[in-house]
Amino acid sequence: MWEVMFWPIVACILLPWLLVYLGLHVVQRGIIFIDIAMAQMASLGICLAVLLHIDLESWTTFGIALAFTLVGAAIFSATGKRASQIPQEAVIGISYVVAAAAAVLLLSRAAEGDEEIKNMLVGNILLVTPREVWERFALFAAVGVFHFVFRRNFLLVSFDREGAYAKGLRVRWWDFLFYALFGLVVTSFVRIAGVLLVFSYLIVPAVCGINLARRIGNRLLIGWIIALIGGVAGLVFSFWWDLPSGAAIVCTFGALLILVSGFGMIRARLGRN
Amino acid sequence: MKKILLILLSLFAALSAQAKLNVVATLPDFGSLARQIGGDKIDILVLAKPTEDPHFVDARPSFVVSLRNADVLIDGGAELELGWLPPLLQNARNPKIEVGKPGRVQASQGIRLMNVPTNVTRAAGDVHALGNPHFAVDPIIAKAIAQHIAQSFAAVDPPNAAFYNDNYKKFEGTINTKLQYWGAMMQPFQGRHVAAYHDSWPYFAHRFGINIDVFLEPKPGIPPSPSHLTDVIGQMKSQNIKAIIVEPYHDRRIAETVARSTNAKVVDFAQFPGGIPNTDSYVSLIDKLVSKLADALK
Repeated sequence: MWEVMFWPIVACILLPWLLVYLGLHVVQRGIIFIDIAMAQMASLGICLAVLLHIDLESWTTFGIALAFTLVGAAIFSATGKRASQIPQEAVIGISYVVAAAAAVLLLSRAAEGDEEIKNMLVGNILLVTPREVWERFALFAAVGVFHFVFRRNFLLVSFDREGAYAKGLRVRWWDFLFYALFGLVVTSFVRIAGVLLVFSYLIVPAVCGINLARRIGNRLLIGWIIALIGGVAGLVFSFWWDLPSGAAIVCTFGALLILVSGFGMIRARLGRN
Repeated sequence: MKKILLILLSLFAALSAQAKLNVVATLPDFGSLARQIGGDKIDILVLAKPTEDPHFVDARPSFVVSLRNADVLIDGGAELELGWLPPLLQNARNPKIEVGKPGRVQASQGIRLMNVPTNVTRAAGDVHALGNPHFAVDPIIAKAIAQHIAQSFAAVDPPNAAFYNDNYKKFEGTINTKLQYWGAMMQPFQGRHVAAYHDSWPYFAHRFGINIDVFLEPKPGIPPSPSHLTDVIGQMKSQNIKAIIVEPYHDRRIAETVARSTNAKVVDFAQFPGGIPNTDSYVSLIDKLVSKLADALK
């Protein structure tokens, strides 16, 4: 088992901590589907690179994908108004479908065959290479440090927007920064793990944390534990029963969430009595 | 006593299982050919299911494990599995099945591929730069692949070399006999035109003297657009095309829509044994394809 599952397990230990933390922000902001919209923006950029015959592995392609992610960040930070008639989730949904449809249009004009592109956009955690893991770990560490240094502002903007405005923070600018970093992290993780897995890592541990704790530090701790258990156990199940690895992890997360919710309900009842 | 016997038996079974050649085939057609050649001397795992699109296959942990333990790997070698095989091999790190070793059979080797793009500066998305990779549906090419497989098995497992060679001779004989029969069945339809969803059949068409040259997909892998389908319908009417070939993983409804407006029949084809019912071996698959197409063209 080790020789096959070693790097997937390493990836599931070294990488998700940042996703769990960002997930707490995302759940608090109520913009659950932003990761999928961001990933789709980045893939639209890659499709454009395909159309322009740019090598998929090159830095130019990465730059184009990044530029599209930044456009997404700009859209989402510009539409996150203080009091808007249009819920942000609607803007996110629209961005997703338009980006997805635009990708179909671009590919229909591209050279034949899109296996390589699909493979590039959606990775398989089973097949991560050591290099992919270390590259992402370095990126996540850098983003993590940045988030840690400016944690007060980031947390205020996500958890207490009125307070942020009252403090005179340039909320839109911080929003943009948050979305841009978020897009970078999500896009790079999607390429090794796929959309389903990114979504679960962002949302499930965060929801478990919110279920069981009030303080952000405790929520984060619970989220990390859940992410660790879910990831490693999912990979082990995937090996035992020879299942697609990403889907096995996602379903393990689903089961963990049910367990945690049950535990939370029992605890709440006991607390009342 | 019984217990000891059981233990001995299972030991023996384990030993003889050890002695078998571990073979991995990426696609079911190669798997079927390998079975013809290897018989009970090999243990074979086929990665793609016969109903799965060979361009996209979902990797599972057992794939990496068996590639790691494989003595022989049979793949297309013409970029059909480009999207999923390279990362699997990278993770398996098995020197025995590296390209160039006797344990690696690349089916396309020594085969002249059709529809090689003339454009040498390969566009980034163009994945089949080596030519159309759906070549194993031509029985004569299948013979060449089978021979290649037999040579590889013999090189990796010399004690059984004669066995593999005999099996190849048998397979060659079967195909030669069958080719007469298939040729006779397709004889009345020489030169006829047939439509297909995806361009997977140039080798089949070439072998049996028909033209499969109208495609529902505007480009391989790109879903049909309304204007393209209108063109297709026009072409089918003017060339009096009576059959549209679809494979299990294609959108049959699109073919049915086109068939309705052209009075053509939708014919379920499969590149792989097991992809359509009652096709458990390579020969029975080609049997089925030939008789289905002949029925539709009558």
